Amino acid sequence: MAITSIKNLKEFSTNNERLEGAHLLCPGCAHSMIVRELLNCTDDNLVVATNTGCLEVSTAVYPYTSWDTSWIHIGFENAATAAAGAEAMYKARKRKGTLKDPDAPVKFVAFGGDGSTYDIGFQWLSGAVERGHDFTYICLDNENYANTGGQRSSATPTGAHTSTAQAGRVSYGKKQKKKDMVAIMAAHGAPYVAQLSPNKWKSMAKGFQKALETEGPCFINTVSACTTEWKFDPKDTIHVTDLATDSLMFPIYEIINGTELNILYRPKNIIPVEEYLAAQGRYRHLFKPENRHVIDMIQKEVNEKWEYLQRREEARV
Amino acid sequence: MKGVLATDKRGVRELGAEEMVGWDEVTQGVVLPSFDQPIGNAALLRPEERAYSDFNSYTATVASWRVIKPVYNRDICIDCQNCWVWCPDTSIISRDKQMLGIDYDHCKGCGVCVEVCPTNPKSLLMFAEAEAPEDALAKWPEKKKKEKKD
Amino acid sequence: MAEKMELNEIEVWDGNHAAAQALRQAQVDVVAAYPITPSTPIVEGYGAFMANGYIDGEFVMVESEHAAMSGCVGASAAGGRVATATSSQGFMLMIEVLYQASGMRLPIVLNVVNRAVASPLNVRGDHGDMYAGRDSGWIQLDAFNAQEVYDLNLCAFKIGEDINVRLPVMVHQDGFTTSHTAQNIRPLSDDEAYAFVGDFKPVDEMLDFSKAVTYGAQTEEDWHYEHKAKQHRALMDSYTVIDRVFEEFEKKTGREYKRLETYMMDDAEVAIVALGATVETCILAAKQLREEEGIKAGVVAPRCIRPFPFNEMRDVLANVKAVATLDHSAPMGAMGMLYNEVAGAMVSTQDRPLITNFIYGLGGRDFSINEAKRIFREQKGHADVGYITTEIQQFSGLRGPKLGFYEMKRS
Ligand SMILES: Cc1ncc(C[n+]2csc(CCOP(=O)(O)OP(=O)(O)O)c2C)c(N)n1
Ligand code: SF4
Ligand code: SF4
Ligand code: SF4
Ligand SMILES: [Mg+2]
Repeated sequence: MAITSIKNLKEFSTNNERLEGAHLLCPGCAHSMIVRELLNCTDDNLVVATNTGCLEVSTAVYPYTSWDTSWIHIGFENAATAAAGAEAMYKARKRKGTLKDPDAPVKFVAFGGDGSTYDIGFQWLSGAVERGHDFTYICLDNENYANTGGQRSSATPTGAHTSTAQAGRVSYGKKQKKKDMVAIMAAHGAPYVAQLSPNKWKSMAKGFQKALETEGPCFINTVSACTTEWKFDPKDTIHVTDLATDSLMFPIYEIINGTELNILYRPKNIIPVEEYLAAQGRYRHLFKPENRHVIDMIQKEVNEKWEYLQRREEARV
Repeated sequence: MKGVLATDKRGVRELGAEEMVGWDEVTQGVVLPSFDQPIGNAALLRPEERAYSDFNSYTATVASWRVIKPVYNRDICIDCQNCWVWCPDTSIISRDKQMLGIDYDHCKGCGVCVEVCPTNPKSLLMFAEAEAPEDALAKWPEKKKKEKKD
Repeated sequence: MAEKMELNEIEVWDGNHAAAQALRQAQVDVVAAYPITPSTPIVEGYGAFMANGYIDGEFVMVESEHAAMSGCVGASAAGGRVATATSSQGFMLMIEVLYQASGMRLPIVLNVVNRAVASPLNVRGDHGDMYAGRDSGWIQLDAFNAQEVYDLNLCAFKIGEDINVRLPVMVHQDGFTTSHTAQNIRPLSDDEAYAFVGDFKPVDEMLDFSKAVTYGAQTEEDWHYEHKAKQHRALMDSYTVIDRVFEEFEKKTGREYKRLETYMMDDAEVAIVALGATVETCILAAKQLREEEGIKAGVVAPRCIRPFPFNEMRDVLANVKAVATLDHSAPMGAMGMLYNEVAGAMVSTQDRPLITNFIYGLGGRDFSINEAKRIFREQKGHADVGYITTEIQQFSGLRGPKLGFYEMKRS
């Protein structure tokens, strides 16, 4: 595979962009930071499938496309299967000798929001991974259905306010826990699974490259700070993402072949989750005295998860 | 070819200003070709070398979304490319490891580039959209003394 | 290279096996499928060919019918020949993606082995699934027996993939009656069949990396209408290619197909319009009535449900006095689909026939020759007195009090 150099940002910046401007994502949206980085990680040809969601409705609105790669959107749930179908066609045509350029290197990639990945498209993703198609699935996890105005998903964390799990007089927002999608995908036996974040551009680029290089289905959950629904100033996307990784709300790690867990980022100074929560409007209500216990609960869970990840890393199981 | 900072086809149309062709002229199957000719793998070509089709959003502009804009000060810039890697709108123009400037056709004025710029003073700052670049540069702040942290 | 299969001049195949054989001979690149009664044997049969070296393409057994059609769409956009099969609940699960396939103008071939739709659950044949597909933008061909399943599958690829059509095509057959009833079939040899279908010619393929294409863009009120109108126009115009392919097929095999099949219609005074295996029952009934009772009965059967043969229907029924339209699907709050299509066509003619609607055979209930004869006789009665003496919509073969709706308005 034609991997591009990610030795440092200067080298990385010599890549030729394949996501064009004048897409319709909000100013400061992290989705496009993540997508650009994926596209810049390789010089291979790409076939990109995308589920319905902010990325799709913003980058392919007739009569415009922002994609300089082959790209397909079918529905909200089936990008994994669209990529799988294209990959199957590639294999068939390669065998039969009907490809225009049979030697051109190609990678198959699917993007989905957390809504499509954790909820409605869960089965399609699971099926495509079980069948072992050679593709990389990247979830742009902004922890809500942003495209439709910010409803809860099973990726929405406890305590967050969304339009369908609202904070109010008798509610502190979402009651349930966030689904552990990384663990679930690792349990599928996927050869490479990771959680990565755009503020840590290098580990993200490395992880993307590993996934693209690894034969078989790979899954990556990426932290995608959503200025509109998380309610922070667009200029602060990277700042809020820093708080997410440094508070360990979003630990950065990979799991190879379902067992080998590597933590890819260890914050020098772990900050209290409170700082991360305080930076976003969707958690504002948690700072009322009666909701204080929710912050404590979140902190406790973050600590436990970090402990668990470290032990798994050590145990190599 | 107008060069790298402004190429012939970039941002030539406001969104919504495209020709509203009839049913007989829309593309079959809603398919959109990104380029006018077979250009090969775009990853191997710089934007200024690509035959963008009118369907490519590269040819459209979102400049009108902006109320404030980033202004770039070449004198202070260290070409770290922080602004390039985190711009959500592919609007930092870098060539050969050098930051060259801002693509004002596609920049939405989010201000992320300014936040992530590490120099002191910053090499990118936000100004009112109407501010002339010369005036902005004339107003550039001095190096800030490091505040003592206790 | 896939192995060729030596076939006898006459093979004994049921409709499912006939479909699987046609897919094999068309050298489909990707089959993405999911099993459901009664279409399962198509997928199993194809799987057996795969396991024994007769298939070069990919066979992707997905986790649902929605995924089957999704995989077909991804594969088709990647520029190759694609096919699958389903029935009933599986078809219903696919529906979202059926619209996406046709909107993207992808020439996928879908074998639909018609079966009733739950609730209540039922595995037998009726046309509930077939009818649910009629607004999905696909060409819909209907086979009345296993030979036709085989023939129409070969035609379907050639029609859908034609550069002037580029639309997906369904080939329908009736669950069990056709799908599981073995009959003598005259197949083409592998070489002849493939030569007839021809090589797949990619259009806007995602695997041509010299020219990036975007599939599945959003269109709002400024563009959606034009795209849908263009798609409708393509479907309406596809009849010329369908006719041409049917002609070519006849030249090759001697087997003649028409978008609107007619039987004994030259001098018919009364007619039944029907679909599926029932057509053969009605033909036998018409023959017997002509011999036994001198009733000039004829049968009309749309081979092509979409695009609907509107003009042909007007021509063939122009001189008919009374017509019964037989719908093998629960109409649910309106007249049956065939009634509406036929009445819609005939309302723009001078001498409109008297048109009635029979709902029959839901969930696989038997429809007998005698019942077909009774319906013909009833139409003869309408023709003789010049008006509809019964209710316009009736339920045939239903237990309990007679169920019917609406009477003719006479001034
Ligand atoms: C079958 C179906 N159900 C519902 C929708 C409506 N819908 C479109 S996008 C979306 C939410 C997208 O959320 P997510 O996947 O998290 O992506 P985001 O917009 O947050 O990036 C919903 C509910 C749809 N398009 N299709
Ligand atoms: S709503 Fe959030 S995810 Fe969607 S475009 Fe805006 S910032 Fe991006
Ligand atoms: S303001 Fe935002 S869009 Fe404009 S160049 Fe800076 S990061 Fe890019
Ligand atoms: S972030 Fe600042 S210093 Fe770095 S390249 Fe951009 S403008 Fe120059
Ligand atoms: Mg989301």
